[in-house]
Amino acid sequence: MTKTTLSVKVNAKDYDLDAVRYAAYAVSDAAYVFIKPGVGGVTVEFVPKNAAAKSISVRFKGELKDEKLRASIFDANRDLREFMILKALVYEEIPAGVRQEDSGLTPEQEKELDALIAQVEGEIKKESAGNKTKDPLGITRTWEEKYGAKNGRKKK
Amino acid sequence: MAQKTAAKKSKKTTSVLPQVLWRKIGASYLLTNDSGHYAWLKEKDFALVTAGGMTELHPLFSELAVKGFIRNRLDFNDLAAKWKKKNAYLNYGPGLHILVMTLRCNHKCLYCQSSAAGVGDKKTDMNLATARKSVDFAFNSPNPGITIEFQGGEPLLNWEVLKGAVEYARKKSGTAGKELKLALVSNFSLMTEEKADFLLKNEVSLCTSLDGPKNLHDKNRICSSGNSHSDTVKWIKYFQKRCKKQVTEYRVFKPSALLTVSKYSLPLHKEIIDEYVSLGLEDIFVRPLAPIGYARKLWGTIGYDAADFAAFYLKSLDYMLKLNRQGVVIREKMATMMLDKIVNLQDPGYLDARCPCGAAIGQIAYNHNGDLYTCDEGRMVGWEGDDIFRIGNVFKDSYKKVMTAPATKVCVVSSNLEAQPACARCAYKPYCGVCPVYNYEVQGSLWGNIPSNDRCGLFKGILDTLFTLLKSPGNAEILKKWVTK
Repeated sequence: MTKTTLSVKVNAKDYDLDAVRYAAYAVSDAAYVFIKPGVGGVTVEFVPKNAAAKSISVRFKGELKDEKLRASIFDANRDLREFMILKALVYEEIPAGVRQEDSGLTPEQEKELDALIAQVEGEIKKESAGNKTKDPLGITRTWEEKYGAKNGRKKK
Repeated sequence: MAQKTAAKKSKKTTSVLPQVLWRKIGASYLLTNDSGHYAWLKEKDFALVTAGGMTELHPLFSELAVKGFIRNRLDFNDLAAKWKKKNAYLNYGPGLHILVMTLRCNHKCLYCQSSAAGVGDKKTDMNLATARKSVDFAFNSPNPGITIEFQGGEPLLNWEVLKGAVEYARKKSGTAGKELKLALVSNFSLMTEEKADFLLKNEVSLCTSLDGPKNLHDKNRICSSGNSHSDTVKWIKYFQKRCKKQVTEYRVFKPSALLTVSKYSLPLHKEIIDEYVSLGLEDIFVRPLAPIGYARKLWGTIGYDAADFAAFYLKSLDYMLKLNRQGVVIREKMATMMLDKIVNLQDPGYLDARCPCGAAIGQIAYNHNGDLYTCDEGRMVGWEGDDIFRIGNVFKDSYKKVMTAPATKVCVVSSNLEAQPACARCAYKPYCGVCPVYNYEVQGSLWGNIPSNDRCGLFKGILDTLFTLLKSPGNAEILKKWVTK
């Protein structure tokens, strides 16, 4: 078993410390890894457990490159991923034919509520009919009421 | 000219991939995502995708877009629905409840993880009051379907209590509004016609251990009578016969068997599979040995490393595929469960490979004295004198207290793959899981060290094999049939 220590210098401009840390962890099955501050970056030292030091440094560099790509993809997608998982957590599959929402009310309460809504709608209608003259600019009138349907009025 | 450039631009994707994981296998890249989809890419296509150069004109574009691998074509409703289906277990409580009827056993298996006691040691028998209280506790789970599994030791050594627990559970299920499944794991050596009748009438599914042909089985599973294999085979045949002659009053399930692979099994994959086929068993669970309990002390004699197991697994799967091509019905259970995730994008209920693992939130082990553990493996650690995985007691603790016990929480946290640095980056994350008990026993911490973890090596080997086999249309057809519902 070789105990030769090998070191690799990592430039901080190329890889951030998080990437170095993960790459070091990824090869921790084969070596004890020491990350030490260096000029313009860090020096990574490997004390092999059972494999040749050279193969560990090759693996480490590969992991470093992979981790840089992974980190950029993860950063770019963090919000999208959180959105998707949040959507999944609140997603509820409703079987076909059972689309109607359960309001939690009894049939009597539902009837009472419908009657109340009808009453309020009636009052609003009555009020708006009575107040027609109070809207001389026609602000409360819809576009269709003012100018007719949009069909055939293509923009040139 | 400007129009032409705009049209050209619209054919381009954005410059980054959505959230994906990848693994290089041979000359190809396997891509996976959170919803469980996967795709194979050649090295040049992988480079193209990561550089944002893949256009709609590329032959793989549509497939990648449908599977959620193209960032500006994500169908969030579809991906979210698939994620939800795959992780459905997060909405339920524990479904598997393992009642240890006794620690006594009439076998002394080489690899025994159950830490069995001697046949005369009756103080390790569960009494009826504890069995009933355990059943009550199991019914507290919000899971709409629960399975109560009777284990040991050898559970038939405590027959009267087992019988009482079955009757009580069946009676309770009538009013509890839950689907109840009952299962017995036994070596069958103490089975009688009377016991068999009772179990079948109460729809208890039966599972035994079968390690292969007589020589190998009896070498692994040492029994005081010396003929463990003969007893096992006799009763498998009996239950097969009863299953074929279904009756109208109750369902008779097919018996099943579990294989534990010891070092002695490694050269005998064909003989083991042939033994299963000859007994009409349609599923074989090629289970690796874990260095937990008694097996840890004998690891040097009966253990092996991940590479040895992966080679054995591949040979076994190859042979089963060959038999399938000849019309023989035989499936590998681990493959079936993984394929359910890979092909059907759903959770097969395999508690060892999910995130977080099934410890406490998917299963509970009830020791003979009413002590509760995160899982059966956790109970075995307790038997060795370390109660780190104990989460309560049926007589003293409420369901809520058990679900929020420190051991429950720590198992959930340490088996969350998002928090495991290597797993969070692994292409197999959507299908895999870690085991805090294994990590604790083998590596000395609940988190373990995944890069040097042999269990991780085993799962990687199995998943490498399955994904590689799925590339071949002939193999894929057979494997997909295994999980066609």
